[in-house]
Amino acid sequence: MSALTTTTPRRADRTSTGRRLGELAAPLVFFVLLALAWQWTAYHNRSLIPPIQAMVTDLSSRPDYYLAQLWETLQSALIGLVIGVSIAFALAVGIVHVRALRTAVMPVALLINVTPIVAISPALIVAFGFTRTPHIIVVAIVVFFPMLINATVGLSSVDPQAMDVFRTLSATKGDVLLRLRLPSSLPFVFAGLRLSASTAMLGAIISEFTGTSKGMGASIMLATSYLNLAQMWSMIFLSALTSLALLGLVAVAERMVIRW
Amino acid sequence: MTTSPADRHGIAVAVRGVEKHFTTRGSSLHALSGIDLDVPEGRFVTLFGPSGCGKSTLLRILAGLEASDAGEVELYGQPPAAASARKEIAWIPQTPALLPWRTVRENARLSADVNRTADRLGGSQRVPLDPDELLAALGLEAFADARPDQLSGGMRQRASIARGFAQGAPLMLMDEPFSALDELSREAAQLTLVELWERYRKTVVFVTHSAAEAVLLSDQVVVMTPRPGRIHAVVDIDLPRPRSSRLEETDEFAALVTHVKHTLRSGWQAAE
Ligand SMILES: Nc1ncnc2c1ncn2[C@@H]1O[C@H](COP(=O)(O)OP(=O)(O)OP(=O)(O)O)[C@@H](O)[C@H]1O
Ligand SMILES: [Mg+2]
Repeated sequence: MSALTTTTPRRADRTSTGRRLGELAAPLVFFVLLALAWQWTAYHNRSLIPPIQAMVTDLSSRPDYYLAQLWETLQSALIGLVIGVSIAFALAVGIVHVRALRTAVMPVALLINVTPIVAISPALIVAFGFTRTPHIIVVAIVVFFPMLINATVGLSSVDPQAMDVFRTLSATKGDVLLRLRLPSSLPFVFAGLRLSASTAMLGAIISEFTGTSKGMGASIMLATSYLNLAQMWSMIFLSALTSLALLGLVAVAERMVIRW
Repeated sequence: MTTSPADRHGIAVAVRGVEKHFTTRGSSLHALSGIDLDVPEGRFVTLFGPSGCGKSTLLRILAGLEASDAGEVELYGQPPAAASARKEIAWIPQTPALLPWRTVRENARLSADVNRTADRLGGSQRVPLDPDELLAALGLEAFADARPDQLSGGMRQRASIARGFAQGAPLMLMDEPFSALDELSREAAQLTLVELWERYRKTVVFVTHSAAEAVLLSDQVVVMTPRPGRIHAVVDIDLPRPRSSRLEETDEFAALVTHVKHTLRSGWQAAE
């Protein structure tokens, strides 16, 4: 009880269940209020949003359908994420070693970043047809920029005094990269990965609005044409949860890799 | 008089007529002027002088971290780059600059992990030392598996010194390694360094702007004055070794500290 009312944080309390409940109480209350507001709106304006039980019913009546769409989108998101992030990281490694590469790559990267993704998506469908490829490319493009910037900054953010130690040892470029730049860059790389992971699902879903009949994006479009509010909003919530799970995975990986 | 530095035996560091200018946004700064210096092998030599007199710049030129505009530097008769390629220079920077992802022991072992080609080349005067032995000598054996962020500032600096000694380089260059420490840690660190140096007798070029630190540690104090950075005088420190904290209470010690400060002041006034 005292843990719930006390205002001065005490170290011993931090891990106790009382304290945990205290920290959970505020968001929980807010969540319940939000749900109540949602239900009230749904009952007063049936064309705006579906009541919660309508979504639950739809989800539980055909879980395979939802899982299939989720899996379809998740595959595009993950493959695109890995490809985009890998290319960005490799380019960042090149950029910190070759000055000319920086001046060559950065303007193009910036241009790609400011080009609206909804404009690129249909063009890619035309180019690659009704395959997974255009969707992967869209995801790779949206995750590319945050990783490029963060990795470049991270690989350059080396303690100059540690660099002096490496230089007097005549450390090779490989030594410096592997034993100094790479570890120094990890906090930045994970910050970039968090940004990239949260936009990967976004990219996949937006690209699925055209050129495919599968995936969460296509399912949302389909639900729109049938005015199937339950399906539309179930998909929206499902995609949000998936993005959240991806973020959680990145956070877990970060805690496992960066232990200093 | 005009013999090449390479002909001199027992000279670890030979500097002849080194000049250095820095140009920033059009204005040029004469950082070092006409630097001549011989550091005999196995000697502890300190560069002492006020801020901006070019101590760090000279040390960086010795390490090959900075290029001079004119003059020559030879380490054991070879240019700095050759000594560096054989890992014969141990650089101990102003901050500990430990790698936070490595344990204290792994940090002390750094020199063994990089530039492996140097280990395959023969003819080096380098004799790597056991990192654990050094950590023990520096009172860090209980922290060998700890990460740097678990250490106090003084302990981190000692770990950095362990890394320098573990390399086993015949020449060690230290740029104000104790300047960031509080007074008590600093005194402890100085005494540890004295003890360690007396055990291994490496050639050391040390930088400080504390006269007492210079006298306590060195065989020779090189007094430098600014604008442009020059060597004003070299003061021999003929205090007996091994040295301990008791030495600092003697009249001889106090007299030498005064003498070093006085030498600097006279040189500085002449320069103004
Ligand atoms: N990279 C640089 N670019 C421009 N000027 C520099 C550079 N490095 C040093 N200087 C200048 O050269 C002069 C000598 O600098 P240096 O760092 O060698 O002095 P120092 O004796 O080590 O001083 P301190 O005791 O403050 O460390 C100073 O005036 C400094 O501003
Ligand atoms: Mg300096």
